[in-house]
Amino acid sequence: MEGLQYLATGFASALTPANLAFALAGCVLGTLIGVLPGLGPAAGTAILIPLTFTLDATGGIIMLAAIYYGAMYGGTITSVLINVPGEAASVVTCLDGYQMARQGRAGTALGIAAIGSFVGGMFAALALVVVAPPLARFALSFGPPEFFALMFLGLCLVTGLAGQSLAAALLMTVLGLLLALIGIDPVRGAPRFTFGIPELYDGLGFVPVVMGLFGVAEILLVVEAPFRRMVETKLKGLWPSAEEWKRSGGAIGRGTAVGFVLGLIPGVGAVIPTFMAYILEKRLSRHPEKFGTGAIEGVAAPESANNAYANAAMIPLLVLGVPSSPTIAILMGAFIVNGLTPGPFLFKERPDLVWAVIASFFIGNVILLVLNLPLVGLWARLLKVPYQYLCAGTLLFCIVGAYSLKGTLFDVGVMLVFGIIGYLLRKLGFPLAPAVLALILGPLMEKSLRTSLEMSGGDFAIFATRPISAVLLACAALILAVSALRLAALKSIRGGAS
Amino acid sequence: MKAWKFLAGLLLAVPLAVLAQAFPSKPVQLMVAYPAGGSTDIAARIVAAIAEKDLGQSIVVVNKGGAGGQVGWTEMSRAKPDGYYLGFINLPALNTVILDPDRKAAFNADAFVPVINQVLDPGIIWVKGDSPYKNLKDLLDAAKKNPNKISAATTGILSDDHLAILMMEEAAPGALFRIVHFEGGAPVMTAVLGGHIECAFDNVGSVFRRVKTGELRALAVMDTQRSPFMPDVPTMPELGYRTVISSSTRGIAVPKGTPQPVIKRLEQSLKKAMDDPEHLKKMEEAGLQLRIMVGEEYAKYYRELHAKAAKYTEWARSRPHK
Repeated sequence: MEGLQYLATGFASALTPANLAFALAGCVLGTLIGVLPGLGPAAGTAILIPLTFTLDATGGIIMLAAIYYGAMYGGTITSVLINVPGEAASVVTCLDGYQMARQGRAGTALGIAAIGSFVGGMFAALALVVVAPPLARFALSFGPPEFFALMFLGLCLVTGLAGQSLAAALLMTVLGLLLALIGIDPVRGAPRFTFGIPELYDGLGFVPVVMGLFGVAEILLVVEAPFRRMVETKLKGLWPSAEEWKRSGGAIGRGTAVGFVLGLIPGVGAVIPTFMAYILEKRLSRHPEKFGTGAIEGVAAPESANNAYANAAMIPLLVLGVPSSPTIAILMGAFIVNGLTPGPFLFKERPDLVWAVIASFFIGNVILLVLNLPLVGLWARLLKVPYQYLCAGTLLFCIVGAYSLKGTLFDVGVMLVFGIIGYLLRKLGFPLAPAVLALILGPLMEKSLRTSLEMSGGDFAIFATRPISAVLLACAALILAVSALRLAALKSIRGGAS
Repeated sequence: MKAWKFLAGLLLAVPLAVLAQAFPSKPVQLMVAYPAGGSTDIAARIVAAIAEKDLGQSIVVVNKGGAGGQVGWTEMSRAKPDGYYLGFINLPALNTVILDPDRKAAFNADAFVPVINQVLDPGIIWVKGDSPYKNLKDLLDAAKKNPNKISAATTGILSDDHLAILMMEEAAPGALFRIVHFEGGAPVMTAVLGGHIECAFDNVGSVFRRVKTGELRALAVMDTQRSPFMPDVPTMPELGYRTVISSSTRGIAVPKGTPQPVIKRLEQSLKKAMDDPEHLKKMEEAGLQLRIMVGEEYAKYYRELHAKAAKYTEWARSRPHK
């Protein structure tokens, strides 16, 4: 258990007053983002990246990670109280959570959600400690060809799993890759698609692009949505009764397992685990008819799965440097902006940082439990603020944030343009996740592809003759084939019915 | 007539003298063409904090990272030459940006007047700690026996490390490396320690800690004198390769047209700061080797290096094995 030893040093660093304050600030901001309808973790993390630039790398990343899983907690509150998910992963929680609130059991619903989230998050963080060091050591045997194959596989997974149309997802992946080509060629040094604009020499800034695609676009979408009234209820009885405990104990355990396993697979996204956990509970239940009418298991399982997923998804990022969801991709962007490349080498190069961040996951989960159990009433009050004020404030924050990245208006322009693009793509039903992942993985993939070819003297066989890369590429081809077949089957069923 | 000339001279001299006396009357910007936290940035902040005491005005370090320095240097070449805008020039990175026609740089070598050099980080060849290449001869013999088969990592195209490989190949006829470019030192480390690349051309400052732990083995330092950070490692001239001298230097320059008295005033404060024991101590902790050069010495170094970089840049672009 070498991980535990490192973890102890990580705690020493994560528990310094400054880093503790960053974790707390991140949890508060994250919960806030989760509570505000429309603004999901991806948007929130993107918007708040500039805020962390003034901090040192460790503090900044601790804070961003806390924002990320904080938002996962916070999303529940709106789901239960106004039947609007604060973020996509809380959609399922609406089904039974809102019904519980209407029956006057909002407190219990929020209580079990917070406890389930805590259990799920803690378990996944602990598993991260155990599996990360051996996995990272294994990943050191990855050279440029293996990394290329791995990132290619990651992109295929995201493309295959995103949305209803493989064509739309592929289109978005290619769009992301094309945008990633802008800037100076990493090998020859020649500018590409820069049109003589020096600001484009380094490529489109990842942060302003995602702030636009997620932040600004979501604000525009929220503006359109009607204001939803909160359910009138007293928030009491947060602590579940003995009977409720009995019913939700197993649900929390199973939800955690589902969330954790799916978190390890790049590209799954945060929504699927919650649905899987909910469906699993409904199937196992002796009274499935109660689901949808305020069954506590229907809240406990998806919420546990949600946070187990959120923490488990850090494993592929930290160990392999492969982000599994847009929010994780944004976190990866924060690492890169700080001059750090997540991946096996980071464990060797900056163990202080990696383990401090991992230790902060435990601290963050405790902070969130405290924030959510006794203080839930405070968050609920936020929901009474009309959207127009929230939207105007958030948009202003985005503009200031984008400007502060490099002190140029160019980034503000990039953000606004991508805000409009993101809004239109969402309206047209194109999935944004593949575009964002391709944008962040594109430059890394290109570099590893070209380095591999330099290693082989231009021979593409290098990808097939090295066993790890060959297996990874075969998996990628399989995934694309399977998802094409699945979607084709789906289409023919629909076609037959109409 | 004589009086006339004298008067004219006086008229010209007085404003300059006044300028020099009044300088600096507001904070001075020190541009670093790399992101905050890098070794140029760290060194810049150390010297700025000390020099501002003597200068009597604060020195604000401004990071304008991007495009391998090109973004910052483009801005610097367009800055007002009044002495309130200083910038770090990293050689030969600046030279190759100018020399590579693909980069379409908006400035040339004359756009900058070198003031004082701070750091000289010598080039180094290293292999993995358990590599079969025990010394430089082993490595070169292998590269001669299997030309274009032994892979050598650089920290970037047309970096000082890339030019150093070409110098090595020139000095050891027949040795031909398979050059693999990475972006920065961290991926080079991963690739070589992971056993995917056989050797790396890099700088002392980025590897000396790992040489001490034995994780990697330094074969030769590309300097005329041994590095104080690894006194056991021979230099290239000691091994018989007098021409393989390569380094990354970092010094401060001003845009062309900055008045001479102002340059002198800056040089004085910066020199004093660089000689300060606090500066020496902090730079040693950071693993950065000092090579303070001022005035004509630094200007000459800048000119000669530019000519040398021109030769190897041209060669790098025409080399059949890229």
